[in-house]
Amino acid sequence: MSLPEFKLLRPSSIEQASELLARYSSEGTFAFPPGARGSPPGGIRIIAGGTDLIPSMRQKLFEPQYVLDLRRIDELKGINPQPDNGVIIGALTTLTMIEHSSFLKGHYQVLSEAAAAVASPVIRNMGTIGGNICLDTRCLWYNQSLTWRKACGFCIKKEGDLCHVAPGGTKCWAAFSADTPPALLCLNAEIEIVGPKGARRIPLRDFYTGLGDAYCKLEANEILTRILIPSASAGYRGIYRKLRIRGSIDYPLAAVAVALKRANGQIMAGQVALTAVHSAPLLVKGAAQMLQGQQVDQALAEAVADLAAKTAKPLTTSALTPEYRREMIRVFTRRALIEAASN
Amino acid sequence: MDREFSIIGKRTAMVDAAGKTTGAGKYTDDLSVPGMLVGKILHSPHPHARIKRIDTSRAQALEGVVAVIVGADAPKTYGILPVGHDETALAVDKVRYVGDNVACVAAVDEATAERAVELIDVDYELLPAYFDPEQSMKAELDLIHDHKSHNIEKDYHHTFGNPQAGLAEADYVAEGRFLANEVTHAAMEPHATLAAFDINPHTGKPGRLTVWSSTQVPYYLQHKLSLVLDMPMSQIRVIKPLVGGGFGGKSEVIPLEIIAAVASRKAKAPVKITYTREEVFWAHRGRPRTIVDLQTGVREDGRIVAVKARVVQDGGAYCSYGVVTILYSGALLGALYDIPNIQFDGYRVLTNKPACGAMRGHGTVNVRFAFESQLDEIGARLGLDPAEIRRRNLLRPPCTTVNGLRVQSYGLPQCIAEVVRRSGWNGRKGRLGAGRGLGIACSHYVSGAANSIIRSDMPHSTVNIKIDRDGGVVVYTGASEIGQGSDTMTAQIAAEVLGCSLERVKVVAADTDITPIDIGSYSSRVTFMAGTATLRAAEQVKQQIASAAAKKMNCAPQELRFRDDLVFRKDAGSSAPPAQASASGRVEGQILRESLQQKRKQEGPKDAMSFEEAVVAAIDFHGALTGTGSYAPPPEARGGKYKGAGVGPSPAYSYSAQVAEVSVDEDTGEVTVHKIWASHDCGRALNPVAVEGQIVGSVWMGLGQALEEEMVWKDGLLMNPGLLEYRSPSSAESPEIEAIIVESIDPEGPFGAKECSEGSLAATIPAIANAIYDAVGIRLRESPFTPDRVLAALRAHKKAKKLNLTEGVDPTAPTRFREHGGSLWFMGKGPERHRSDPARQPGRRGAGGDD
Repeated sequence: MSLPEFKLLRPSSIEQASELLARYSSEGTFAFPPGARGSPPGGIRIIAGGTDLIPSMRQKLFEPQYVLDLRRIDELKGINPQPDNGVIIGALTTLTMIEHSSFLKGHYQVLSEAAAAVASPVIRNMGTIGGNICLDTRCLWYNQSLTWRKACGFCIKKEGDLCHVAPGGTKCWAAFSADTPPALLCLNAEIEIVGPKGARRIPLRDFYTGLGDAYCKLEANEILTRILIPSASAGYRGIYRKLRIRGSIDYPLAAVAVALKRANGQIMAGQVALTAVHSAPLLVKGAAQMLQGQQVDQALAEAVADLAAKTAKPLTTSALTPEYRREMIRVFTRRALIEAASN
Repeated sequence: MDREFSIIGKRTAMVDAAGKTTGAGKYTDDLSVPGMLVGKILHSPHPHARIKRIDTSRAQALEGVVAVIVGADAPKTYGILPVGHDETALAVDKVRYVGDNVACVAAVDEATAERAVELIDVDYELLPAYFDPEQSMKAELDLIHDHKSHNIEKDYHHTFGNPQAGLAEADYVAEGRFLANEVTHAAMEPHATLAAFDINPHTGKPGRLTVWSSTQVPYYLQHKLSLVLDMPMSQIRVIKPLVGGGFGGKSEVIPLEIIAAVASRKAKAPVKITYTREEVFWAHRGRPRTIVDLQTGVREDGRIVAVKARVVQDGGAYCSYGVVTILYSGALLGALYDIPNIQFDGYRVLTNKPACGAMRGHGTVNVRFAFESQLDEIGARLGLDPAEIRRRNLLRPPCTTVNGLRVQSYGLPQCIAEVVRRSGWNGRKGRLGAGRGLGIACSHYVSGAANSIIRSDMPHSTVNIKIDRDGGVVVYTGASEIGQGSDTMTAQIAAEVLGCSLERVKVVAADTDITPIDIGSYSSRVTFMAGTATLRAAEQVKQQIASAAAKKMNCAPQELRFRDDLVFRKDAGSSAPPAQASASGRVEGQILRESLQQKRKQEGPKDAMSFEEAVVAAIDFHGALTGTGSYAPPPEARGGKYKGAGVGPSPAYSYSAQVAEVSVDEDTGEVTVHKIWASHDCGRALNPVAVEGQIVGSVWMGLGQALEEEMVWKDGLLMNPGLLEYRSPSSAESPEIEAIIVESIDPEGPFGAKECSEGSLAATIPAIANAIYDAVGIRLRESPFTPDRVLAALRAHKKAKKLNLTEGVDPTAPTRFREHGGSLWFMGKGPERHRSDPARQPGRRGAGGDD
């Protein structure tokens, strides 16, 4: 499969990048790429590690006229611990760097674990944290070659008008399948987005829409630049548990991130978040309240696990049956809570 | 005492390893010739349809397009089996699976060819399609191939001994249905072919054809090309560059090989086609989804008295090797254990899916999974240790089995003993605590088929050797190195016989203009057959050298010994050659000559010559120094006389026994394989490190089929045509594998060697299944043992809340797919279907065979 032709833009500063984006982007959002829903190919796509974009371009899911390469922008790279142990992570920081950072291991364990669970070492060497946050939603009916999609019939997410997963409706159910966002949700992370009007900061939890097609709120002329984790989230005991069939390479089929802060055996604060079981990564609503001030025992763990399983909405977007994947959200949540609460 | 061998039996690096590890080696896709075009194939979007019209004019008009070919450009049928000529280069009137080949564009570059493919207009008339073999067998109309009634490619009904009486005298009869889902080879290198015609100087038309292709069978490719292109074989040269794995997926003529040649002829320019990974999945030829209904009758002491097997293979849309596959599944019920009575009913059924073919462990693997699992069940029922019940059913070779298979060397008892000892079986089985267990299983395989697929008396392998005055030994063999070590094996045997160093030997392989015929690298035949031919060719050359050298040394040729680059008299004082030479092993001819001249002056008549001196003497004496050797299986190894008796017989069988140690997470159903002890009787290990590599590779591939790999469908559309969603195991979850070599020394194999590359695979799947049973008490009868299936079985076993495996599964999918879950048949719209398709008829819930 050939890579569609495009012009490569290689800015060396955020300003330059922002300018180029403004110049070449057409209307629409990041997740409504030019080319979606039958619109003609064109527009601009951002590339960081390229581990997601390049295969998708070969499958003709994206045929941009311009590709904006962020890799020369050095200010977007690196992990910068703040004096209060908060941290600012450049969007271009590789997942390998996140995985191996001793600072993150010490203070933000759940993020280290989630980064280490992404794909394989080779992919983590290329893939970036920003790219992982913006990862396109995935579906067996979508991540296929043009030939395959033609044989099957196009779907809502790309050029078609129906969803193969839920044929009755008009909504796209592609699953958000990145590993690090549930960890970042547990840590109350914020993200910095730079656009024509300058920089803005939003909580990561407000970034995702819950739709399979227009899955995040990044405008076509915007760049995700930094991830900010507040000092209040430092020192949480964190666990990331991922359902996968093989021990490496796979995207999550269901996964749970748990982060707890404890004192005297009690939970001061705790969060549970899920991925790969919905079109957005999800904080389990109500889990924080259930955990706060409590001691984790089997009964509490099971109650929270039930809540997590109810929150999950897996569909036939990937391997393994939906009911099984929901069951694993239950098992993984229970186990992760008990493990995180023990020493 | 002197070592018996100087070259074989040593851990030897592959002779082609450097190119592969540095990247300097050239695979077919690395090749390019001036003026070369790129070919891209248009594939069918429908599982079964008639082609009403193809219009290529828009594609042809695109700038950069040189030629567009369709079925009419080469309508002659071919197929790997003489009985299965049902394929054409491109679809002539019908397409039979999603991915079937419709047209091909040859253009100046890949992007242009891809664009042009999109511009080909095809009108299809949809036909009802068949996806489930049991359903397909009931079809009366709209058959996949007109001449195959009920869509049955072939069925066989074999009775050996008296199975009915056998079952009647059994104390216990186990009965069960086992199901193994479809898997594919997933070789690293996607198929690639480069075809180029010379221009005939007299006519200006395309003349001789050269094809470089990723093939395991250059000679068969040459033969089929000649058939389809209507050219004499002598005008076609097939060259096999480095091949990045075959596993059976390149052991027949794959559509792109024919298509590239036809396109090149029409374009009057070289054309290269390299499959995308998706196209590799469509070309497929993998292991068919197999339904095995198995009955085993035993006496109280565990002795098997009869076996009845009904095997249905979901073969896909073309015959491919199908007739052989179904026969192997029955024939190799024999030759592992002593079974006095066998009933076999085999059905190879056509369905509208990519064609299945030969894959590592061809035909035996899924039946072996069923058999070894059932034997485990019987052991548990009778209170017999699983290793013991296997020991009680051993053959007593030399013997001929009830279905006519001759067994001479038989290392199975030692294989079982080794894995039992090394795994600590006797002390640990059943004592590993909750959720952890051990399982044992055995398997075997042919060392080449005793009957070639082309019925003739021609030798299966021929090897030529040429030695020139430089002392360099060149071995010409048609055997195809595909990563399994065939070139290294050839060099080792030649060097061992000639007593020269491995560095002296150059292997020229798999080029039909240069190398003599060898039928290819499949059915684990190369070491046994091409190896024997090499040995014979080398012996012939050696005799010529010996007769000349003997004259120079005033002795009889049989008094000479060849070793360590020396030719010397066995009785010449010391038993060993000059200490210095043998110790260093790399004596330079020049130095040696000087020292020998000196020695001769001192001691009179010489009693040793360097290899080079001896070669020069032989050339001076005989003229050219060449030798040839060939191999044809002996008549007594070629099996019985009944219909279908040709498949199964082999000059020798390899044997394997394995113990797997697993643990099962009872909350998640996840299976972890901790270790596999795998012993394999390969006759004699010519290159132990290569044998170990093959054992580890086989076990690993079996592990994939046991736990992770399956092809998943929606109305004939493959849902996972890539290596991301078709999951071969990664190194992360691969267990430690202890490869144990058992050497039974076969009386006919070269230096006693037998096969080592396939036989170990089949034992892995049941060994894991049996270990899961030992760990948590569930009997898994469907592979792969994915965590959802395991958890569902665990819940059923504990009578806990049922796990619904069919959520999200298409309710109109064939029953067999609906029953077994694993999202095997997805809900969703999928490819367009004919209105009279059973699945599309209102009021009908299912289209399954048993509805």
